[in-house]
Amino acid sequence: MESKALYALTVLVSVGVLSYLLRALPFLLFGTRGEPPALVKYVGRVLSPAAIAMLVVYCYAGEVAKLTPNTHMWAIAAPYLAGVLTIALQLWRRNPLLSIIAGTLFYMLLVRL
Amino acid sequence: MLFRRAFKDSIPVLMGYSTMGFASGLLLAVGGAISWSPLWAAATSAAFVSGPLQYIFVDWMATSLAIGSVLLVTLCVNFRYSLYGLSLIERFQGASLWKKAYLIGTITDETYALQMACDLKGGTYVTYCLFLTMLDHLYWICGVTAGAVVGVLAQGAFSPEKVAAATQGIDFAMTALFLVILADLLRNAANRLPALIGLVAALVAVFVFGKGGMLIPAISLIVAAFLAFRRWLDGK
Repeated sequence: MESKALYALTVLVSVGVLSYLLRALPFLLFGTRGEPPALVKYVGRVLSPAAIAMLVVYCYAGEVAKLTPNTHMWAIAAPYLAGVLTIALQLWRRNPLLSIIAGTLFYMLLVRL
Repeated sequence: MLFRRAFKDSIPVLMGYSTMGFASGLLLAVGGAISWSPLWAAATSAAFVSGPLQYIFVDWMATSLAIGSVLLVTLCVNFRYSLYGLSLIERFQGASLWKKAYLIGTITDETYALQMACDLKGGTYVTYCLFLTMLDHLYWICGVTAGAVVGVLAQGAFSPEKVAAATQGIDFAMTALFLVILADLLRNAANRLPALIGLVAALVAVFVFGKGGMLIPAISLIVAAFLAFRRWLDGK
């Protein structure tokens, strides 16, 4: 098997199993009744916003890594301008599909200027 | 009748999952650098049942990110799901083991919201939830797989280079997805400080370790900050 396929298979199985276990965790730990410890509830509540903010930084780090000395001005600004548009649209219209499609199309336009 | 009700309730999810799934499948075919991408698209979408993971899977495939980082990201992104099950434990009581196993294993934000909004009781409720979960799961798998199939067909009809040029920049959909989730989370004031901690920790980590090595340090910093500042963050 090619190494890429082996890597994909490893990710598929390990992430699949971990995803499943996470979803099943309360049932495995607390049976049909019971409460999780306060610490677990606390971490569960605060982890999502932090993880998503972290992934936004990860995405932008990828954008910076794409830059070359030949990247033109609009392509450098594209992720930030498109990001502002995406957030503004989402705060205004609360339609995730609209915000994502408009933001992505705007980005695709800017990198082609 | 129950099926029709579940289908009607799931139509907004159909719109969202098929479109977002399609885009992530297309991305995998174009940017995932793997052969047989529709097969991987179908298998991963069925197993992960997660938008963020499906998009970031393309990045993992392109960069061969270390499995340790992959699992840590999975843990952080999906940890909240382990709390969803708790509020459903009592309502699923009496359902057979395999039904419970399926209902719990494929829960998502959207499916959870619809299940919580439903006022049915007992066995009828479980059947309704089963229909709903299967439909949502199916929309997602079909969307992702269709995207990958179209990507591969386009590469065959034109050329991989032409398709890559035509879709250049479509990978911003992943960034946009995370920005949208973040914008929605920030509406709730209680999420703002945790998000700020995530932002600062990630910025520190990326400046010190770069993109490839940032995730594990960032997550460690985030968890350390949560434990250190619990007194201020844990407003019950």
